[in-house]
Amino acid sequence: MASKKLSPVPAGSAAPYVPVSGDFELLGNRDLQTDTNFASQSYWKGVFVHFFKNRRAVVGLVIIAVIILLAIIGPLMNSYGYRDIIQYRNDQNRRVVAKAVPPRVPWIHQLFTGEPYDDAFADRTFIFGTDDLGRDLWTRTWHGTRVSLLVAFVTIAIDVIIGMSFGLVSGYFGGVTDNLMQRFVEIANSVPRLVIVSVLAIFMPKGMGLVIVALLLTEWIGMSKIARAEMLKIKEQEYVLASRTLGADSAHIIFREILPNTIGPIITQMMFSIPTAIFTEAFLSFVGVGIVLPQCSIGTLIEEGFNNITILPYQILPPIIVLALLMLGFNFIGDGLREALAPKLEDM
Amino acid sequence: MKKLLSLLLVVAVLASCAVTVAFADSDAYLGVMLTTNVMSLDTNLATDGESFEVIANCIDGLTQMDADGAAVPAIAESYDVSEDGTVYTFHLRDAKWANGADVTAYDFEFAWKRIAQEAGEYAYLLDSSVGCVKNADAIIYEGADPDTLGVEAVDAKTFVVTLEVPVSFFPSLMYFPTFYPINEEFYNSLEAGTYGTSPETFLSNGAFVLENYTPGTASLSLKRNETYWDADNVKLAGIKYQVIQNSGEALDAFNKGELNMVTVSGNQVAAAENDPKLAENLSVTGAGYMWYLSFSQTENNAQGGMLANKNLRLAISNVIDRYNLVDNYVMDGSLATFTAVPPQFAASSTTGEDFSADQDLFLDVCDYNPEAAAEYYALAKEELGQDEFTFTMIYGSNEGNEIALVAQAIKEDIEAELDGMTINLQPMTKSERLDKMQNDNYDIALTRWGPDYADPMTYLGMWITDNSNNYGFWSNAEYDQLIADCTTGAYVSDYDARWAAMLEAETIVMQEAVIAPLYTKANANLISSDVEGVQFHPVALNRVYKAASIG
Amino acid sequence: MLKYVLKRVGLAALTLLIIVFLLFWLVRIMPGNPFPSERMNDIQIANKRAELGLDNPILVQFWNYITKLLHGDFGNGTSLYYGVPIKTVLNTAVSNSFRIGGISILLGTAVGLLLGITAALNRGKFLDGFCTVFSIIGVCVPSYVFMIFLQYTFSFKIPFFPYFFDDSRFLFSSVMPALSLSLFTMSTIARFTRNEMVEVFDSDYVRLAESKGLYGSKLVRAHVLRNALIPIVTVLAPLVVDLLTGALVVEKIYGINGIGKLMVDAITGEGIDYNYVLALGILYSTLYITVMLLVDLLYGVLDPRIRVAKKRGEAA
Repeated sequence: MASKKLSPVPAGSAAPYVPVSGDFELLGNRDLQTDTNFASQSYWKGVFVHFFKNRRAVVGLVIIAVIILLAIIGPLMNSYGYRDIIQYRNDQNRRVVAKAVPPRVPWIHQLFTGEPYDDAFADRTFIFGTDDLGRDLWTRTWHGTRVSLLVAFVTIAIDVIIGMSFGLVSGYFGGVTDNLMQRFVEIANSVPRLVIVSVLAIFMPKGMGLVIVALLLTEWIGMSKIARAEMLKIKEQEYVLASRTLGADSAHIIFREILPNTIGPIITQMMFSIPTAIFTEAFLSFVGVGIVLPQCSIGTLIEEGFNNITILPYQILPPIIVLALLMLGFNFIGDGLREALAPKLEDM
Repeated sequence: MKKLLSLLLVVAVLASCAVTVAFADSDAYLGVMLTTNVMSLDTNLATDGESFEVIANCIDGLTQMDADGAAVPAIAESYDVSEDGTVYTFHLRDAKWANGADVTAYDFEFAWKRIAQEAGEYAYLLDSSVGCVKNADAIIYEGADPDTLGVEAVDAKTFVVTLEVPVSFFPSLMYFPTFYPINEEFYNSLEAGTYGTSPETFLSNGAFVLENYTPGTASLSLKRNETYWDADNVKLAGIKYQVIQNSGEALDAFNKGELNMVTVSGNQVAAAENDPKLAENLSVTGAGYMWYLSFSQTENNAQGGMLANKNLRLAISNVIDRYNLVDNYVMDGSLATFTAVPPQFAASSTTGEDFSADQDLFLDVCDYNPEAAAEYYALAKEELGQDEFTFTMIYGSNEGNEIALVAQAIKEDIEAELDGMTINLQPMTKSERLDKMQNDNYDIALTRWGPDYADPMTYLGMWITDNSNNYGFWSNAEYDQLIADCTTGAYVSDYDARWAAMLEAETIVMQEAVIAPLYTKANANLISSDVEGVQFHPVALNRVYKAASIG
Repeated sequence: MLKYVLKRVGLAALTLLIIVFLLFWLVRIMPGNPFPSERMNDIQIANKRAELGLDNPILVQFWNYITKLLHGDFGNGTSLYYGVPIKTVLNTAVSNSFRIGGISILLGTAVGLLLGITAALNRGKFLDGFCTVFSIIGVCVPSYVFMIFLQYTFSFKIPFFPYFFDDSRFLFSSVMPALSLSLFTMSTIARFTRNEMVEVFDSDYVRLAESKGLYGSKLVRAHVLRNALIPIVTVLAPLVVDLLTGALVVEKIYGINGIGKLMVDAITGEGIDYNYVLALGILYSTLYITVMLLVDLLYGVLDPRIRVAKKRGEAA
């Protein structure tokens, strides 16, 4: 491969030559053509217009908006609180609990069968049914969505802020910097999460804060690896060389020149780190270092439903479907963003 | 010589034919579900019911359990007790280890001394709180020479045990695996640390031998031991164990015919009850152990020792609806429990009556009774000068799915009835829960205890001052004296007086609400209709297969 | 190149040493202890601790551990399978997890690539949409839910595969766990392949190649796939390590004695077993570090312009 000396200062020279203004002269007013298509709108405005022209991206945005809306108002749409056990006392002073009731809407049942339910909770509506403790799953699903949405957005932030920067910087500088940074990744990734989070739990109150710290510890690693790989691939390309020759500093090259060209795999990676993070939260909660009962999240609801999956599959379906829709929405938005952020020539 | 050899061969072939004919119907293995791994086959290291069950299938002790849980002869054909009840002389029968060696008194002597010397989890069964074997305390806790233990093999067939004081239930201790023999020669021929880790490193003298096993395995199998002294009465060809931790999977494995005996829990019990075919196979057996709430009474916890207040504890105990817990959340036939000693495991040997048969005895201090609770609560608030309480309740997230439900139901009951009290739930692993309790670093714990031997003392002995299981650090001189009288003092040789004293002790525990008993666990088993003769016990060995048959 | 590899191996040893020390220390301060016994008193527990040398200063303990480790001795279990040499238990676990993990890696990568390529070639058509939905379901449904589903359908309802793992019929009984474990990998690879290929298809040099008359599978092989492989290899690497080191719940459901189950038993079992946590931690880290080295070397093969060893601005 051809040798490329990129250093702005030739080796061996005593001191860099400092140009003075007299070295340059103005060529005068040349007849420059400006592409109106590019100049007519700013970059971000272009992204915006492009994004909203994409039908799937808009659908994705609507899905996420609806889920967020339901997470806010869903639990208010009936009279049950997320921790209310639906129960009453019978004649023998024993408690009857509406536990593990399959989904029911009395008037629909009446419509199809012509008769009401014949049990103690005949007039109650449970759109998603109830859980093993006798709590309404509709309320709990949307209540849990709040936690999982928070986890999703925190993960995106961790991916973008820590993961991406770490990977890009590591890949760009290479050599000793890369070596040290990658060994750090290996160490961070090698201590089992359960061990490190248990230790952290000694110093921190258990709950959402600890979950976020746990995510901060390792959730960025996948993204950093992708960003580094992309950086390694792109940094040797001619336009980077050109930019560097023009005197651009590292930060400019990394974040303005290279980043837009790595956006594809970065967005894909971001999408796939969300469900992983949501299940990580559920695992942490199960072992007692995450959110505590009777709080819930999509992940913990899936785990609870899993216990009854063969006989009461309705319990696991709502959280899984909400998660799938959430992912569908994020993926559509991600695809739209990718196309909008790195427009190809024919899209102009 | 050749003739003799061929004759022998013919005899051998005939004999093997006879054997195959005799057992033609029973070459099927019994498929049994385990809920957790078999942790160890070494009697010194095993601590879980699953391990004890497998060990007991393979090794016979001096006595064994009959169908009702009473001690009947096993390796010991008979035994004599000295007049003062402190010297037991066991006369051993002719029995063989699976490698052909004789089972001798020396095997017992070796195994017992090893237990005392290694001072493991169950060594306490020898010490002065239970078995009272002479010098056991000095060896276990002070590292004295194990040869000073009060056991002696007078000859190969006579084993003599000397006790410090008479122990009325001593023969029934003998069926617990801790007291089983180990062949010294075989043990010493193994590399250190490998005993009981594979079929080759484990020696049986009982009904079955190991066929397939590695530590931590999810499936293991045993086959019948042809050299067993009582082999004629063993009908199974073998047992195949499979570890299943998901109740739904257990139900399907049973439905598919993969296993003959499974344990189901939670909604799967309801599903089996509602299925007319499965309902016939469903049976409930006592699992023995009792779940209860332990209250820390030291100043380190519960906002500076708030739970040291008796009325506060009574208030909590009286807002828990125990029937609600067992009917709606545990669902496997577990019994709501209102006594400090759970029912159905310790029967009096004079009257035959269960120690805790009467569950109504303490209803005035332990029942679901919000009015009484409100009164206790008002008193407690006044005594403590405080209206708001926040306690953390710890429980093991790996101790069964129903535990999280039970914990939440208790929390909701307490917060609904006791105004101003907040219970924060804190799940953790079981080992962390125990660690927290041992280090006096908890407010309220959802915990359990299983009886190791069929005497109420296995529960009552825990609440004396300085007992390592007294996690609440409750202390009461009168109580300590009563228990001392029962174990080593005035009542050791007067059975009925001891029984009465224990009831008196239990009354103190209940009136002080040292613990809040919740329920006594049972197992909901699905057993295929062609299986017969499996014996279930709530104490020591939960399942015994010697008399079992299939098909 | 050789010099670079040697340097990396040397650094790996150092990294591993740091990891082992961190684990060694963290596992000792995490809540819970190796003997959470309900029946032993303080004296007995203190004796047990002394027996295992847990009373020594941590650096002394660490030194003793490392010297034993260098002789290939992982020590014995302290609370899990007490006294049993870890090697014997680990051997079974590693062989089971590696074999099942290996199958699921192959399955996940092959099907994932195929699905991704098909979707990219049929961009915007039905197959593309199918690939998107499949990937989303694949990452949203946990592998253990899929495992239960497979077991219920293909072993209970249609009795074809064994209901529990059976070592004597290894390949046959590996099908369901391997399939359920590969689902996540399959979805990830499919999605990355599809997105990367679509991007490469749009790039100038592929357009140039097309205009030169290159098309079909030759185009895909020679230009598109090769350029799309870098991110695919990058995401695949940690998945390979995860799959090889087992999956707890799937192993529990199907009764496989694997690494995942062993790790959780070591932490959440009767007590924390320091030696098992360390042995498994070392196994995981070694695998991870090795795979990462291979990936860095692979970058250079896939795209000769990449030289990971090189510093910015240095000559290649």
